[in-house]
This record gives sequence, C-alpha cells and structure tokens, in this order.
Amino acid sequence: MKKILVPFILSLSFILAVTQPAYTQKHKGPVEVIILHVNDMHAKIDNMAKLAYLADSLRKSHPYIFLFSAGDNFTGNPVVDMVEDKGYPMIDLMNQCGFNLSAIGNHEFDLGQEFFNKRREQANFPFISCNIDASGAVLKQPKPYHLLKAGKVKIPVLGIIQLGDNGMPDSHPSRMTGVKFTDGITKAKEFSWLKDKYGMLLALTHLGVEGDVPLAKAMPQIDVIVGGHSHTTMTAPMMEGNVMIVQTGSGLKNVGKTTLIIDKKKIVDRKYELIPLASVKSSDAAVQAAIDKYNDNKELNRVIAVAENDFTGENALGGLMTDAVTAIHGVDISFQNTGGIRIGSIPKGDIMLKDVYRLDPFGNEVIVYKMNIAEIQSLISNAFNRNKEVDLIPSGVKYTVVTDQNGLCTAVKITDVNGSPLDPNKEYTVGVNSYIAASYRFDHRDAGASQFKTTAQTLIEYLTKVKNVTYDGVARTAVKPEK
Amino acid sequence: MKVFVNRKEIAIFTGARVIDALRSYSLRSAGLVIKGIYTVYDRYGNITEPDGRLTDGQILTIRKTK
Repeated sequence: MKKILVPFILSLSFILAVTQPAYTQKHKGPVEVIILHVNDMHAKIDNMAKLAYLADSLRKSHPYIFLFSAGDNFTGNPVVDMVEDKGYPMIDLMNQCGFNLSAIGNHEFDLGQEFFNKRREQANFPFISCNIDASGAVLKQPKPYHLLKAGKVKIPVLGIIQLGDNGMPDSHPSRMTGVKFTDGITKAKEFSWLKDKYGMLLALTHLGVEGDVPLAKAMPQIDVIVGGHSHTTMTAPMMEGNVMIVQTGSGLKNVGKTTLIIDKKKIVDRKYELIPLASVKSSDAAVQAAIDKYNDNKELNRVIAVAENDFTGENALGGLMTDAVTAIHGVDISFQNTGGIRIGSIPKGDIMLKDVYRLDPFGNEVIVYKMNIAEIQSLISNAFNRNKEVDLIPSGVKYTVVTDQNGLCTAVKITDVNGSPLDPNKEYTVGVNSYIAASYRFDHRDAGASQFKTTAQTLIEYLTKVKNVTYDGVARTAVKPEK
Repeated sequence: MKVFVNRKEIAIFTGARVIDALRSYSLRSAGLVIKGIYTVYDRYGNITEPDGRLTDGQILTIRKTK
C-alpha cells in the first residue's frame, strides 16, 4: 500500500505545484502579482498571438496577471498605420490580448489627437501620463496614474512621457497643438503620496533608460520602473539604489515578466525575467486569425494617385520624392539620394500605397536644416564626390556640378527652379532624409531636426493631396567638365 | 545634440535614432549592427536596439555580438 501511496502523493504534489500559484489571496499572507510588459511595439503585430497565449496560460494558474505596454504602440507597420482607421488593428489586438494599461509614448501622437482619442475610446484599458495637460487641446485628458487591484491590495502605477530638448515628446509639434507638457520627474514627485497611501509605487514610463535612471535617483520610493522609449533589451533588471528598472527592447520581440511579492502593503520581493517571444511555441488561434486578416489588408492596394506618364529613372522618381518633402514639410529645398530610390519606374496609371513602400522602404525620417548657399554647395559637392556622379536629386533648385579632369567636383552652380541665382544672404530650409543627414559629410552650422515623419509617409500625404502627378523629362541636375 | 559611439563624439540632429549615430560614426559598423554581427550597448551595459531614440549625451558602445 505504501508503495502505491507514495508515488501517488508525489504526483499529486507535482500537479498542485504547477497548477496552483505560490501565493494566492485565499489565505492571509503574501500576494503574488505578475506584470507582463512590453514597450515600443511600434505596430509590429506578428508576435501578438504568442503574447496572448503566454498571458492566457499564466492567467489560468495565477489570479493576478497584468499586461502593460510602456508606450509607442503605433507607428512602424503600414498595415496598422496606413489603414483608413489608423491604428485600430493595434488596439483590437491589444484588447484581444487583455492589456490592462499603457503609458502614452511620443509615437501615440503620430496618429493625431482625434484619432488617438478614438483609439483610446476603443481600448479596454487606459492610457496614462502624469505630465500631460490636455485642458486646452483636442486630446482628452489622460489620468496620471492607475490603481491595479490584486484582491484587497491596491497597486498604484504612475505614467510619465519623455520630453525632447524643445519641451515636447519626439513627434511633430503640429500634432500636439494645445497640449502642455511638464518635466516628467518634477511632475512625478507630486505623486509621491501614492507610495505613502498604498505602501508601494510602480512607474510605467516612456522616458528611456537615460530618463529612468534620474527618475529612480529623484524618487527612490518607486519600487519598479517599467520603461520604454530607448528600445533597451534588459536580460537582467537594472538596479538604481533600491529601484528596479526593466525594459524589453522593441518590436514585440520580447516580453518582460516582473513578479512582485506583496505582503502587508509592501513589495517584499521582486523578480524580472526577459522572455523572447520566439521561444513561445504556441499561439492563440483567434488572435492569429486576426493578425492574418490585418496582414492581408487590401488597404495597401488602395489607389492614392494617378501617374499621368511613365516615371522612369532617378530624376523622375527622385523629383517626385523631393517635391513631396518640399510641399509637405514647407521647406525651400530638398534632396534625395539616388541610392534611396529603390525601384526603376512607376508605370502610367494608378499609384497604390504599396508602390510607395517599394519605392522608399527604409523608414528614413525627414530631417530639416537651415543652410546658406555655401553649405548647400558643400552637401552637393561631397555627395557627388562619393562616386563621381550626381547623387542628390533636388526639389526647389537646379544645379550643375563642374568637374576637374579626375571627375571630382570643383564647383556647384545652383539656381532656383526658374534659373535665377539664389539669395547669398538668405538661410534656406533644406529637407533631407535621415540617411543623408547621418552619413553624408557636409558643412552645416544648424544641427538639424527630425520632423518625426518618414519620407514614405511624406510621399503618401503628398500623393493623396495632389492626386495626379506627371514627371516627364525632369532634369534638375547637370554635370559640366571643366575646360 | 551630441552622443558618443565607442568614445567618439558624434554631433547628430535632434530626434536622431541609434542607427543614425552609428551611420555617422561608421557606415560599415552600422551595417554590421543591422546584420546582427555587432551589437549596441548603452552606458549601463544593456543592449540597445538600432531604432531606439537617442538622448543628448548618450553613450553607446558597439561590440561583436556574443
């Protein structure tokens, strides 16, 4: 009998061990809370079914599972960003996964305030931020913090968004009209009473690690900072004093599992684990079906403009791309490098969304500089000398490169589109893509600023606006060997 | 803004991403990071994805992927 009973009891113990949480609310004692968290998903939806499966599996055996996003849910995938109901696929999938909370990231503003309001209404979870004042804006005021409930335990989570040098999050200022922002750490300190009242405090931030560390130093009462923005993959938690900082990379490649043991209104133990979603072998079937539907979106076949003639070659295609930058960003001049023009032609007829992504697949953003003529000439000259050929297709100007016997540029003659000389006393606004801005050498006193909009998005906006385009025999550059 | 890549000071436009700083530092290195042969680390030793936004004064190190 003993021989039968012992294995039976051992088996039963194992079953209980794997099916019962270590800590439940059924008895008076510590409570185990698991926070699954992601950040900077950037509309990358392909792993969402794995995340849903993982979360659901844990929910079956643990009573207190919460799913967080530390912001930047949108921007980065045309099947989410470019559909008519911008951003909706992401919210739908986050709802299906059972997200409980999201911080507001800078890229949430990319949708525009009205669209973001709609997405928030559709979300089954709140977006929080303590340093946003939307009282004079279209944006609906977000709550500064959210209270999680784990049985009788209440866990406050404070949201914070990053600000750039201009005092605004990294998105185009035109998308944030009327919204006021306060320094995140300064504002967060006003909520330190949450710790006094509830005995614990979590922060769900979109500050980046470079912002989370000063936050931890300024507010040592925070127990855990679940962060985002810097796309930092932490295989182990960072400790700043007694504050634990965690972040999981970007693009929904990983999920963080932060486990809190709470006893007598205090977090008495914290653990963090990074789970690569590639290691999760099962998926939620319903969520996968939704992902497949969104990925098969015919929206990318939507006609946004009509080409009135065949566009062939770098001059025509580059001319289209740069005209889009000058028109949409309101700059005087723009340049496109020939290496960034990825198709040879656009045939006469319908131009579809997917044509734009074929033409310009890199995700480069538009960068604007203030430059004088000499600086513009240095950009053209250095670009030409990379391969001894015209490399930059312009809009807003025409130019001729004069070359020596070795084929190197010795002078750049530049005029406006009518052939008149440029004003030598004027500073021109010049738009280039981020690849040129980062990797080309040229003189510029102005540091330049991202417009937080990709060149592809810029072109889509332009084509949608102008409807009909023609680029027949466009030639805005010339090369003249020196005599 | 100014950031540092392998101790070299890089002046880069406002709103730049990690990949922009890498391209400014060395196009070859940036390419190796994109291919996964090299990995970018922040000043705390954490892995930083190339599409992450930079903060003024940020310190990055590129090392061969382990």
